[in-house]
Amino acid sequence: MTGSTLLVLPVGLPWALAVALALLNGRRPWVGWLAVAGLGASLVSVVMLTFRVLREGPVETVTGGWPAGVGIVLRADVLGATFAAVSVGVILVSLVYEVFVGVRSRTFPALVLFLAAGLSGLFLTGDVFNFYVFFEVSMTAAYILTGYREQDYQVRGAFIFAVVNLLGSVIFLIAIAALYHVTGTLEMATVAERVREVNPNSLITIATAIFVAFSLKLGLFPFHFWLPVVYVGSHAPVAAILSGALANIGNYGLLRFGGDILSEELALGATAVLVLGSASIIYGALQAISRREPSEVLAYSTIGQVGYVLVALGIGGTVGFSAALIYAVVNSLNKALLFLVAGLRGPFVAAAFAVGAFSLMGVPPAVGFIGKIAVFKAGLAAGGVIQATLLVALIFLGSALSFVYALQIYQRAFLAKEPQGGLWDKTSPWTARALVVALAALVLAMGLWPEPLLVLGEEAATNLIESGGSP
Amino acid sequence: MGVMPRTVAKLLFLPTLVAAVAILVKGYAQTGDGFSAGVVASLGMVLQYLAFGRREAEKLPLVGFAGRGAFVGLLIGLLVAAVPVALGDPVFNHYPGPGAHVVYLGTLELITPVLFDVGVFLLVFGFAVGSVRAIANTITREEEYRGPDADDLGVEDLAKGERR
Repeated sequence: MTGSTLLVLPVGLPWALAVALALLNGRRPWVGWLAVAGLGASLVSVVMLTFRVLREGPVETVTGGWPAGVGIVLRADVLGATFAAVSVGVILVSLVYEVFVGVRSRTFPALVLFLAAGLSGLFLTGDVFNFYVFFEVSMTAAYILTGYREQDYQVRGAFIFAVVNLLGSVIFLIAIAALYHVTGTLEMATVAERVREVNPNSLITIATAIFVAFSLKLGLFPFHFWLPVVYVGSHAPVAAILSGALANIGNYGLLRFGGDILSEELALGATAVLVLGSASIIYGALQAISRREPSEVLAYSTIGQVGYVLVALGIGGTVGFSAALIYAVVNSLNKALLFLVAGLRGPFVAAAFAVGAFSLMGVPPAVGFIGKIAVFKAGLAAGGVIQATLLVALIFLGSALSFVYALQIYQRAFLAKEPQGGLWDKTSPWTARALVVALAALVLAMGLWPEPLLVLGEEAATNLIESGGSP
Repeated sequence: MGVMPRTVAKLLFLPTLVAAVAILVKGYAQTGDGFSAGVVASLGMVLQYLAFGRREAEKLPLVGFAGRGAFVGLLIGLLVAAVPVALGDPVFNHYPGPGAHVVYLGTLELITPVLFDVGVFLLVFGFAVGSVRAIANTITREEEYRGPDADDLGVEDLAKGERR
């Protein structure tokens, strides 16, 4: 298969299938399985693309065969392909989970496919405006998905989610317009070249706007206010999709725009990024400890976990960027596993949760350990002795706090005596339980054999630094 | 609504659709494309909803098809993008290629981008009319739910106009 076909397939396949499925009744099991098959094929093509990119370097194609700059560029490098693979994987698992449990809305499979198409599109584009378009495709699907099951609190959550994120989208759109105004192009590679000759004053404003937009998506500390309401209300697989796949927009966006296109501005604002990241880690962890509901604890823990990505980004350099990528991937898997498990009851569920909790804390056999170690290494590589000591102490403190809240949820959800006749008396279908156990096994396996993840992180960071210039 | 707006709306309906088609086909060499054509056509349809209310507007042709039209349009657009890939060309490659012979229908060139724009037109038109329809249905359903004494409960003028 040629590179350009591989590049188009992960976006086009779920997209076309989503349109077709939107006309069918998604509550029928065969429609759900058709969606699963399509998304599975999309995942296979994304994984093949990742291998291709790792072996032969970035794959690029221009729409209509026009010269670059006239046509729209689709481009896959290690960073984009990795994020696409992880996100599509998480969405696939969540979709299979919901099909096992029983889809209750006729549009659910189609919306999930729209979201997957938008996400792979934005990870595999080389054009800033196209990035925005795909970003809106996936966000719009996410707004509707948040209200899935249509309970009052879910619709309320969806409304808050839509309003806050539309605000973020507008800020991002303004930033893109400004970027186009100062560089005269929308193609990422050319933008990255031309920004070096642009007046730094205007660039700092643009960089700040982009940073704020992605921080809103991620739910970073001062922009986190919407996140708990939305995550707590959402149905388990939707929460897993939001925090395991959709949040990658923020991670990827910060790495792509910060590490690649506006690398000098990132270096300039590194201190602010580090401070915000640290605040996020501490704030998220402390709030998580003080909450009781498992989904609420996980929501606040998400705020804390993105702090690590931000700290790694602030440190920068090969070590920092690769740590940010590795941590983002690890966090996606952890959060998908934990949110999915939080909606289940029955044998083996507690074991799967324990694996996820250990991974969240960063205890060795689980993949979370690899992420923590990567951020640790980045912390040691940071600037002077004082800065390195402070960062390492912060990462250590954050991990210690995550120990407390992860074990607290475990205790409350699985050890405490449950009230009789409650919601939790029903045992969930064994298929859904087998699925989360498989996901837990994957988390363990990636922790035991971390080479692929480390290689991806290394390659992506090297690519970013080569194309972005400054360390 | 009064007689004047109704008459004007009725008179404007066909010209709006014709203008939309004109915008659709005169793109490429001059300004115009599927998106703006879709917007113009759906504005014409929204005018009918405003002037005549839901029940009358539903009787117009095309309205029942609107919701599905959006999906058909999106599928057409995706097909135009995807078929070249299946044939081994770049995404969105257009046929006939540059320099090749083009069949003309009046001033309209028969090339695949036209098909893409028809898809965009259907998508925009279908989405706009479909959502107006959904909103109108919801309003009517709420009114029926409230019953004939709705006025005493403080229903707005808008609802009154529609019932009459």
